[in-house]
Amino acid sequence: METNILYTHKDLVEKSKFGDRNSQYRLYELYIDAMYNISMRMLGIKEDAEDIVQESFIDAFKNLKSFRYESTFGSWLKRIVINKSINHLKLKKIPVTPLDQHEYHISEEIDEQIMAIDISKIKSGINLLPNGYKQIINLYLIEGYDHIEISEILGITISTSKSQYHRAKKKLVEIVNTF
Amino acid sequence: MDNLKKHIQENKHLFDEHRADKQKIWQNIESNLDTSRIIPLWRHPLLKIAASILILIGTYSVFSFFATSEFNQNQQNNIVHQELRDIDTYYKDLVSFQVQLIHRNPKLQPEDKKKFLSFMDELDEEYDVLKLEMAKNLNNEYILEAIVNNYKKRIELIENLLKQINTSKKLNTDEDYIL
Repeated sequence: METNILYTHKDLVEKSKFGDRNSQYRLYELYIDAMYNISMRMLGIKEDAEDIVQESFIDAFKNLKSFRYESTFGSWLKRIVINKSINHLKLKKIPVTPLDQHEYHISEEIDEQIMAIDISKIKSGINLLPNGYKQIINLYLIEGYDHIEISEILGITISTSKSQYHRAKKKLVEIVNTF
Repeated sequence: MDNLKKHIQENKHLFDEHRADKQKIWQNIESNLDTSRIIPLWRHPLLKIAASILILIGTYSVFSFFATSEFNQNQQNNIVHQELRDIDTYYKDLVSFQVQLIHRNPKLQPEDKKKFLSFMDELDEEYDVLKLEMAKNLNNEYILEAIVNNYKKRIELIENLLKQINTSKKLNTDEDYIL
C-alpha cells in the first residue's frame, strides 16, 4: 500500500521529467491550491506566496530528475514550498522561531479545552500569533510534520522544536481564550 | 500526536481557504521553463555525451576483443607456424639436396632422371596447393597429413631411385667380379 501511495501520479511525474508540458500543467493543477495555501499560511502576503509557489514549481520541474519516489510527489513539492517560504522569512528578517528559550509544559486539560473550540477561532488565533510562534504551529499542527522533520526544516534540535511548540501552543490557547 | 493536532488534522480542509490565481502563476512558470526548452530525449546534451561514451566503450571493447583474441591466436599460430616452417625447411633442403644429387649423378639415364623429376614436379605442385590450404586452415589434420604424405612420397621416390642406382652399381661390380 505504502509503495502505491509513493507512486501517486507516477505517469505524470515521469512525463514531466522529460519536459512534457501537458503533464507538467496537470501536476500544477493538482497541487497549486494546496501549495499556495501552505505558502499563504506561512507568509500571509498574497504576492509573496505567489512568488514562492511559482519559484517552487519551476525548481521542482527543473529538478524533477532527482525525484526518486522516496516520498510522494506532493510531499516532495510541499517541502520545497516550505523551505522556500522559511528562507523568504529569514531574508525578510522575520523570526521563524520564538526568541525566548524557556521551556513550557502544557497539560492535557488545555487540549481538551481547545478541542471544543471552533476551527475558525483556531485559524484566527494562529493568524494573531507572533511571527516566532506561527511557523512551528503551522508546521506541526497544520502541515502535519513531526518534531524530527521540523528540526530539519528550521535548523533546530528536536528538543528545541518540542519546547517551542509547547510555548507556541500555550500562546495560541491564550489568544483563543480572549475571543 | 496530541489532541489539538488530531483535531486540526481532521479538519485540515478548513485551513485551505485561499484560491491561487492559476493562470497568472502558470504563465510565469511556463515562461521560466521555456528558457530550458523541451529537448527531445535523444538531443539532450547529457545523453549525447553518454551515447558518445557508450559508442567509444563499445568500439574499444569490440576492437580489444578481436585484438586480444587475434593476438592470442596469432601468438599460438606463430609458434605452430615456426615449428612447421622448421620442419618444412628441413625436408625441403633434404629433398632439394637429393634432387641435386640425382641431377649430378652421371650414372643415371637422362630418361630416368626426367621421369623422376617430373614426379617430383607433380609432388611440388601438390605441395604448393596443400600449403595454401594450410594457410587457410592450420588446424586441419587432413591437410597436415596430406603434406606429410607428400614428403613421404618424395622420400620414397628418392629412396627407390637410390635403390636403382645401388642395384645398377651392384650389377656393375658383379659384372666386374665375373669379368
